[in-house]
Amino acid sequence: MAANQSDALVVVNNVTKEFRRDSFVIPVLLGINLQLARQDYLALMGPSGSGKSTLLNLIAGLDRPTSGEVIVCGTNLGVSSESKLARWRSQHIGFIFQLYNLIPVLTAYENVELPLTLTRLTRRQRDEHVRAALEVVGLSDRLDHYPRQLSGGQEQRVSIARAIATDPTLIVADEPTGDLDAKSGGEILELMRRLNEEFHKTIIMVTHDPNAASRAKRIVHLEKGVLVNTNATPVGATA
Amino acid sequence: MKSLKYIWRNVMRNKLRSMLTILSIGFSLALMTILCGYIALQDVWGNEAQKYHRIVVMSTMGFSGEVPIAYVDRLRAMEGISAAVPYAWYGGMYKEQQMAFAQFGTDPNHVFNVWSEFKIDPAQLKAFQDDRQACIADRRLAERMQWKIGERIPLQGTFYTFNLDLKLVGLFDAPQNTDSLWFNWYYLDEGLRAKDEPLSGNSGTIFAKTKDANSMAVTCKAIDERFASSDHPTRTQTEAAFAQMFADMLGNLRLYIFVIGMAVVFALTLVAATAMAMSIRERTTEVAVLKAIGFSRWNVLLFVLGESCWITTLGGLMGIALGCAFLQGMHIVASQFVPVSVIDLAGVWLLLLLALAVVIGLVSGLVPAIRAAQFSVVDGLRRVI
Repeated sequence: MAANQSDALVVVNNVTKEFRRDSFVIPVLLGINLQLARQDYLALMGPSGSGKSTLLNLIAGLDRPTSGEVIVCGTNLGVSSESKLARWRSQHIGFIFQLYNLIPVLTAYENVELPLTLTRLTRRQRDEHVRAALEVVGLSDRLDHYPRQLSGGQEQRVSIARAIATDPTLIVADEPTGDLDAKSGGEILELMRRLNEEFHKTIIMVTHDPNAASRAKRIVHLEKGVLVNTNATPVGATA
Repeated sequence: MKSLKYIWRNVMRNKLRSMLTILSIGFSLALMTILCGYIALQDVWGNEAQKYHRIVVMSTMGFSGEVPIAYVDRLRAMEGISAAVPYAWYGGMYKEQQMAFAQFGTDPNHVFNVWSEFKIDPAQLKAFQDDRQACIADRRLAERMQWKIGERIPLQGTFYTFNLDLKLVGLFDAPQNTDSLWFNWYYLDEGLRAKDEPLSGNSGTIFAKTKDANSMAVTCKAIDERFASSDHPTRTQTEAAFAQMFADMLGNLRLYIFVIGMAVVFALTLVAATAMAMSIRERTTEVAVLKAIGFSRWNVLLFVLGESCWITTLGGLMGIALGCAFLQGMHIVASQFVPVSVIDLAGVWLLLLLALAVVIGLVSGLVPAIRAAQFSVVDGLRRVI
């Protein structure tokens, strides 16, 4: 479901991105245009080196485009300062990483609470958010477990709980099932479908896995820095 | 979850490395505590000496010169002086032990007027005054040497040619351990005169007590002026200045300690900085995740600085505790070297040492903290995505 630019949550306008390595300029994204509506669930596919993660980083406010505009939640990310971007990310973006990236010295509860410490919530409110997020991912009984005491699937679920604890506008997931077995991967994909359909979260997911991509409402392909087949509808998609 | 909790968990993340860093800082600051404690000891002695307004008269030639014994009576007659006694360092050997303790020849009839804060049983003082060969000792010295009243104490002269055969008749109590034995100066002088020694009739120094603290400077000047034209001109100073003179014989000790201290601090900073740099380098991705989910550069900077300060402060506390324990232990087992307890020595310098540990933490953590704060989130995450 492509959105009109006026009501789109994510607007990517003619974006290019180049990296410099010594005297070499490496073009990664070449004139990308993309819109994403609220409550959409987009799968971003493409071979390694096609620029998927780079595009995801731009949309998540982790990087700035070389040219063009990236407007997310009404904010032009290319012109925001580093500190403003950090604050913006804490309010609008929930991250899910391939390798979960939980803080190993913190318990599941503390990991989920971590982004909430940047908000003005009271301790009690934080506690409610953390417990609710862990309830959604089905880990209410693992509050005091450290990441090393959890399975890969459970770690990813804690990571998802951390991503949704602040009730972000947009969830970005980079290969969320890439390090999981089929069963755990399936559980994570089901969880993400629930986040989209039951909790109306907007999700962008980078994946290599066609099966994972098929759970999204929309699939776009990137090849050599260019979007191709942007209107592909996943097999078995419900929307 | 509070930030301090997260910082503390990071401190304990690699326990071995943190402990080794803490220990290296701890032992170095223990050494600094002992050195600074020694300086504080000098100050305590100086302040203590100032309280009793004693002055010391010696030859302008220093310790190689002598002061005629006749000067004692002349000093006693001077305005502003309440008491004066000869105080001759003997430096003899006791049972083959050289410098086993300090020995001084003085005047038994007036010595407790000069050291009026010292206490002795009147009967023992009388015994000291009545017997030429009598001696008295600091109670703590007697305990250390396991002497009993009536004990014969033979001293073999090293500087003087006359050997002393003394009998312990009393013990005195001083506010601080003096580790001293006092005998009758006239007993020594008689022996020297019998041998026709040129040192007879002289005392190395004369200790006098002024009537009040305010008159010490004026009295010192008056004494030196009075003997300036004699064959034996004098150099008179307060007891505090006299004590400081001994410290000065070791050179500018404070400067040495400062230079050594700074070298230690520099080395420690490098050690701590290396440990922090390694620790942060291992956590590049984690720091990138923190920044990705919204922690600012300042947050990251403070996390790293907080971690390094925790480690160095723990090391500092451990070092100060060790240093104080050592000084207190010395006070208990060898109070002749550390005559006051750590409580009396404690002062702002201990807080400054702790502050130094914090500063080491700040400086050593600064470079890793700035690097962690500045590196790109994308580069940090690239390791895993």
